[in-house]
Amino acid sequence: MTTLTPTAGRTGPANTADRPGAATYLNGFSNEVHKGLLNLRAGWREVLIQMITFPVFFLLLVLFMGRGQLRDELLLPGLLGMVSLTFIHEQVNRAFWSYLGDMQSGVLEQTYLTPLPSWTLILGRQVAAVVSALPSALSVLLVGVITIEARGGDMPFDVQILVPLTSIVLGTCGLALILCGLTLVYKRIEIITQFSMAVWFIAGGTFVPLDNMPDVTAFLSRLLVPIAPGIEAIRDILVGGHSLTGLETGWGLWWVILQPIVLIGIGVVLFGRLEQVARRRGTLGRY
Amino acid sequence: MSTQTQAPAGSDRPGAVTATPAIEISGLTKTYGSSDTPSVNNISLSVPAGTVFGFLGPNGAGKTTTIKILAGLLAATSGKTLLNGYDVTRRRSATMQQFGAVLEGSRNVYWTLSAWQNLLYFGRLKGMRGADARDRAEELLKGLDLWERRDEKVGGYSRGMQQKVAVAAALIADPPIVLLDEPTIGLDVEATRTVMEWIRTMARDRGKTVLLTTHQMNVVEELCDRVAVIRKGEVVADLPTDQLLAQFRERDKYEVRVEGNLPELSLPSGFTARSVEGTTIISGRVSDPQQVYTLVDRLRDQHAVVQSLSQVQPDLEDVFMGLIKAPAHD
Repeated sequence: MTTLTPTAGRTGPANTADRPGAATYLNGFSNEVHKGLLNLRAGWREVLIQMITFPVFFLLLVLFMGRGQLRDELLLPGLLGMVSLTFIHEQVNRAFWSYLGDMQSGVLEQTYLTPLPSWTLILGRQVAAVVSALPSALSVLLVGVITIEARGGDMPFDVQILVPLTSIVLGTCGLALILCGLTLVYKRIEIITQFSMAVWFIAGGTFVPLDNMPDVTAFLSRLLVPIAPGIEAIRDILVGGHSLTGLETGWGLWWVILQPIVLIGIGVVLFGRLEQVARRRGTLGRY
Repeated sequence: MSTQTQAPAGSDRPGAVTATPAIEISGLTKTYGSSDTPSVNNISLSVPAGTVFGFLGPNGAGKTTTIKILAGLLAATSGKTLLNGYDVTRRRSATMQQFGAVLEGSRNVYWTLSAWQNLLYFGRLKGMRGADARDRAEELLKGLDLWERRDEKVGGYSRGMQQKVAVAAALIADPPIVLLDEPTIGLDVEATRTVMEWIRTMARDRGKTVLLTTHQMNVVEELCDRVAVIRKGEVVADLPTDQLLAQFRERDKYEVRVEGNLPELSLPSGFTARSVEGTTIISGRVSDPQQVYTLVDRLRDQHAVVQSLSQVQPDLEDVFMGLIKAPAHD
């Protein structure tokens, strides 16, 4: 028979703080990131498969676009688009599926039994998703760079691209927040997530620059698609040779910065509202 | 609806704190969506600290809804819930530090992580420092005989072991209140016994308040100081366990064994007969012992040979069935 060794247990009210301290926030946040990375390690086979399939997909796309040839003028723009697309695909899907999985198994409710506000945990999930997206995105980048270098080309690098890269990551966090919030209430919205990925693939300017699209499509893409302004800016810097402050395509630096902030703002507000609805309807743990 | 209640008394267990009820529910109502029927209808309960409180009811009676409202996972339509005096809707952070919970029908812990990783995760989720969480996790895993297998994924454990990890995760931050929604569901006899022993230890030796729902009446009868029965969202009884049993003992059940298979016997109203292996067993509840003598006289008149006459004490299952089947009074 298993027994508990009686120790000085807590019987009366626990020591409480109405607002957790900064250390508790940091602890909870890093705890969530740590959990995400443990799950990433547990699913290493899946990551390995993605690290192979995504670069293959990229090379096949460039081949098809080049009518059976790897054309140099398509490789670099295509690579920049594909790395971004891989990133958003992985980040959104990992955040979404981890949330849905927790909901389906019922463990999500346990994660709500914390003194911390849920946004802390969502943020932790997002950071874990960003880190989890890196292996696939970096493998695409690596294969792309090797291909370009092998064909006698040069892979340019400019530290300025860190700004649009950050914009893509933050904008994607906003999108993931919206999708996770919708999942809390409407549950089976996998189709929306997958459809949105297809839309980003087409309308994000990953392979066809927005300038080559109809004006209305380009306008809506720049306005709504989290990766579109970022990809456009990266191409402008690395392919066009322009500086961050002198971007020639798109709506300029201000929109590259503002769009992810707006998307995160919408994501935070919407997630909070949908979470309230879920608490009211009792759908936090019901699938 | 008539409700059998008595003001709860404080527990005399060591460490029990009785000044503020550990759990207090007043006028709680929950209606889902546009439904006309509330899942929980104006219920009020008060659980003194250090009590093991059995919250019973048939499926769909409103037990889980009540627990989820207590835990802040579900918003009430109206009413108030307090855990150690903290209102989850107003002081969520403080309330969350008052309890741990094992929720019904959920995995409760991550099956892709090991028991050790789960306990550290949930400990830090509850605001514990890493070192404290490790010490506590070690204590719990050793106490539950899981220490040797702490690094294995929970998904590979047996159902009983998984439930042990869920209980350990609920206790990781050493909360004064523990909410256990069907903690023994699906467990074999040994695992059920282990969880029961844990609950007993938590309450008797550590003074914790335990709110327990289960369909296993023997668990309730053995562990609970007090029992509330909920039916169709309304509390129909809320009494100390012994008083609840005593109250139903007033309408004791009698059993008379008669030689032979005699299904054609004429019996007074309220008694039924069944034949088992050459014996006729006649049973029924009586409000007046005279009814038993009437029965025996009637049997003698029919030349039946009475083998035995015994008084059958009601167990909690009888009480429970009586309460949930009793007609509702509006």
